[in-house]
Amino acid sequence: MSTPILLEAIGIKKYYGKFAALGGVDLKVRANTVHSVIGPNGAGKTTLFHMLTGTKTVSAGRIVFDGHDVTHIPDHRRVQRGIARSFQVTSLFLSLSVRENLRLAAQGIAPTRAMNCWHEPEGPRSCAETVASVLARLGLESFASVPAGNLSHGQQRRLEVGMALAARPKAIFLDEPTSGMGIDDLEDMKSFIRSLRDEHTVVLIEHNMNIVMDISDTVTVMQQGRVLAEGLPHEIRSDNRVRAAYLGNMITGGKA
Amino acid sequence: MKRQTHLILALVVVLTMPLLMHSGSLASEVLIYGLAAMGCNLLLGFTGLLSFGQGIFFGLGSYTLALTLTRWPLPMPLALILATVMGALGAAIVGWVVIRQKGTYFVMLTLAFAQMFYFIAYTATGLTGGDNGLMDIPRPSITALGRTLWPLTSPWQFYGFVAAIFMAAFWLLLKVSRSTFGRTLLAVRDNEERAAAIGYNLKLLKLQAFVISGAVTGLAGALHAMMTGIAPLSNAEYHTSEMILVMTVIGGTGNLFASVLGSAFYLLLADWLSTLWPRWLLLLGLVLIAISLWMQRGLWGLGETLWSLVRGKRTRATDKAIEKLVVAASPSGGNGEQA
Repeated sequence: MSTPILLEAIGIKKYYGKFAALGGVDLKVRANTVHSVIGPNGAGKTTLFHMLTGTKTVSAGRIVFDGHDVTHIPDHRRVQRGIARSFQVTSLFLSLSVRENLRLAAQGIAPTRAMNCWHEPEGPRSCAETVASVLARLGLESFASVPAGNLSHGQQRRLEVGMALAARPKAIFLDEPTSGMGIDDLEDMKSFIRSLRDEHTVVLIEHNMNIVMDISDTVTVMQQGRVLAEGLPHEIRSDNRVRAAYLGNMITGGKA
Repeated sequence: MKRQTHLILALVVVLTMPLLMHSGSLASEVLIYGLAAMGCNLLLGFTGLLSFGQGIFFGLGSYTLALTLTRWPLPMPLALILATVMGALGAAIVGWVVIRQKGTYFVMLTLAFAQMFYFIAYTATGLTGGDNGLMDIPRPSITALGRTLWPLTSPWQFYGFVAAIFMAAFWLLLKVSRSTFGRTLLAVRDNEERAAAIGYNLKLLKLQAFVISGAVTGLAGALHAMMTGIAPLSNAEYHTSEMILVMTVIGGTGNLFASVLGSAFYLLLADWLSTLWPRWLLLLGLVLIAISLWMQRGLWGLGETLWSLVRGKRTRATDKAIEKLVVAASPSGGNGEQA
């Protein structure tokens, strides 16, 4: 895979007091790939994710996205650069309809519109095309008018990813998109994530090894706030360091 | 047609009050506090911000109008506009600080500002008259080219004036609530974390909500001062903030017309209870407890439930609500019809 590099993180460090949650992480994500970051609990996956999406600030290091240094840009402005994220714990506008959830997400790339006190979100302001295409992609067309809080868990997980999709981002950051999903929904979600890389770049934080191995182009393994190994899925599977670190149920594919 | 329901409901209230009520002042007060409660609702019901500082903007409006009409005699419409601007300005300053915190600390900050404003008003006797307030505010007629178009001498004449302003403000606020801005506020109310993650600047949205809320509250304060002829210290007191908040909650949050219901219910009930017993606030407390326990969607929610009952559209949700209502009916249901 030799597509250009879309995202580059250089020497990312994050301290909480004296504790180093991230001790200097380098990461290069190529465009139109699925790049997974895995590791056991406490490896720093989610912290890294927060650094990349801008939810929290870095203690040291640089983040370059699409040719721009975004290190000090807050999360809500990184959206306009083409970075969108989904949450590990479903985070939706529960009293609003599915359509309105997606409309708000689509509108987020032009947030000055949100300050418009006079016009209703109609016509070109309604982002109708984006919303319709994401609804179709999620298979939630018939639920468009249902409040997000009334969806099933699997549907909410899909809408969760759809919220990121509606911003039509260059890169989508997914934080354990399959968490809490049933087996049936799992396969759907996997092929869905796989299909995203045609138009987007996917950075996937995952706990479940099986999912990662099937759908990733590149896998980065983290341990104790550092990168332990990086490579193609089959390389990672046979990497001795990784085996040593994870010896046991995770690498052999037992339920993580 | 359905889109205009709320506007029509507001118009019905405005037109029927003169037919049903004896006191033009009380009717004016209902609309004035209705404005203030709508301003509060924009923060509480649409943005999810519980502000105990609404009395600041109400008081600012009262003082501004009193000062402009007594000391620097400006034309009355200009004085009202100035009071509205001062309310907005006050809200911009207070909002700029308080939106830096969330939850409990946000509420504490609004409380702190309310207290500070009260003591400033109390101390700055040169401007505010301190404990005595500002008195002898004239209520000039509306004139054009030296001819009187609309005298405001009698309570009902003044009511007509307030009603016109109220309808204009209601229409504007309705428009704001349905605008792209208003719809985005609902997202902030539902889930701040997600709203930020999809690209919204929460501080900017909240600040704008504060400014609009402050403007309409300032206007209400100014009209109140015009109505009573005084700008008392009590208009800037914590109790005013509390009253506006209580009206908003009684009416129902997230719906502008509900705030008018809340204001009407509160003031009419207070008017009636105060003739029965000097300690009527205690009874009002019982009503508030009943609403907090069984009727969290306020009077509007009650109305919706009854309406769906009338139309036979019984859903499981309304069934549950009705069950609860049966329990709640005794302390609040009967009086609600007065509003």
